[in-house]
Amino acid sequence: MRLERFRKKSPWILHYNAGSCNGCDIEILACLAPRYDVERLGILNRGNPKQADILLVTGPVTHRSRDRLVELYTQMAEPKVVVAVGSCTCSGGIFRHMYHVGDGVDQFIPVDSYVAGCAARPEQIIEGVARALEILEHKSHEIERPFQLRGPLYCSGEQTIRRQMAAKVSDETN
Amino acid sequence: MGGVVGWLLILLAPLIGGVLYGMERKLKARMQRRAGPPLMQPFYDFFKLIDKRPMVVHSLHGYLGILHFLGMWLALAVLLSGGDLLMVIFMHLLANSFLIVAAFSVRSVYSQLGGMRQLLAILAYEPIFLLAGVGFYFLSGSFEAKAVFELSSAPLWAMWGIVIAIIIVMPAKLKKSPFDMAEAHQEIIGGAEIEYSGLFYEALYTARWLEYLFAYAFIVLFGGANWLLGLALAAVVFLLVTLVDNATTRLNWQQTVAITLGLSLPLGAINLLLIGIQ
Repeated sequence: MRLERFRKKSPWILHYNAGSCNGCDIEILACLAPRYDVERLGILNRGNPKQADILLVTGPVTHRSRDRLVELYTQMAEPKVVVAVGSCTCSGGIFRHMYHVGDGVDQFIPVDSYVAGCAARPEQIIEGVARALEILEHKSHEIERPFQLRGPLYCSGEQTIRRQMAAKVSDETN
Repeated sequence: MGGVVGWLLILLAPLIGGVLYGMERKLKARMQRRAGPPLMQPFYDFFKLIDKRPMVVHSLHGYLGILHFLGMWLALAVLLSGGDLLMVIFMHLLANSFLIVAAFSVRSVYSQLGGMRQLLAILAYEPIFLLAGVGFYFLSGSFEAKAVFELSSAPLWAMWGIVIAIIIVMPAKLKKSPFDMAEAHQEIIGGAEIEYSGLFYEALYTARWLEYLFAYAFIVLFGGANWLLGLALAAVVFLLVTLVDNATTRLNWQQTVAITLGLSLPLGAINLLLIGIQ
């Protein structure tokens, strides 16, 4: 039996707000509400990175949120996809080149699907997730790495060792 | 229930439980005027979870999750094969305590909080299940589930108080609103199950299906020999629990324990006293 085809039948979502104005967040919640009802496609909002398949990011990645974003991304089990929701998330939007933002989420983690719009409409978000699911179906179990991280990500065989990563981060802060 | 049917039910328990869970999700969606996921959605989730890259916090944590699943299946097996009701209740408690030990064995705050809340939930529902066991003993003269299934007059009529008490604590048992503090999505994100992922979360996910089947199979006991009446009662409770889950918000642990124990324990005790007098 090919297990890959079940990936797009039960995508579980982790939603992270990396400094968004809540416009896109409300649209994501609208997708989950009865009008658009994405649960009919098996989509659940889990809120737990370890059990999620799709990372929905909103916001231009502020200075304070970038460590958390990378941390959440590293905690997700492969295969996983990232969907950038909203103009800020795709490129930094109106905050681009400002001192406190990271100019979009793809500066930190690999993004599979971009959803433009300020705020992105629910139909667009569902479309973006559907595109991401096509990518998800063909992904392997290779460990995917974030681009920017204060410490390197250590791997031992199939497992990521996050303890050393945390130690590295605290060394640098001290 | 015994013989081939009993064994078949025990072997197919995860499948039946999965369909039951799918039905519950569908019914819940329909009550909110949504289309809802397909009936087979729990099985799609099942196959997807096998495919995820395995991650484990430490080996004992993963192992306890699997023990939780096996313990749950064993408790259900004893019930369906007509075994001792006390054995059923305590085996079920043991299965739950594996999960609690697992919850306390990791350093996640949410997991530990979930473990404590799970203990409080057990405090809320466990006494009523024990009272029901004692009630069945008064009526049939034996703790065996087999003897209960042979009672000609349904225990439902004599044990009305305990039935109402069980309906009150049912949301706590199935981790549903208003007594879902042990799980609490978006608040403590699943509590005890937060650190599980992939194949190990699978064990917990399927254990939940078995828990559904266990709770409703326990309700069927109240029909006695008239198992059609028992099934009808289970269907009514299923509808009621889903309705209450949709219509109420989460209560905190003080309220949960006060309401469940304050209402259901006296009700069950008075009922037991009346049965004893007769």
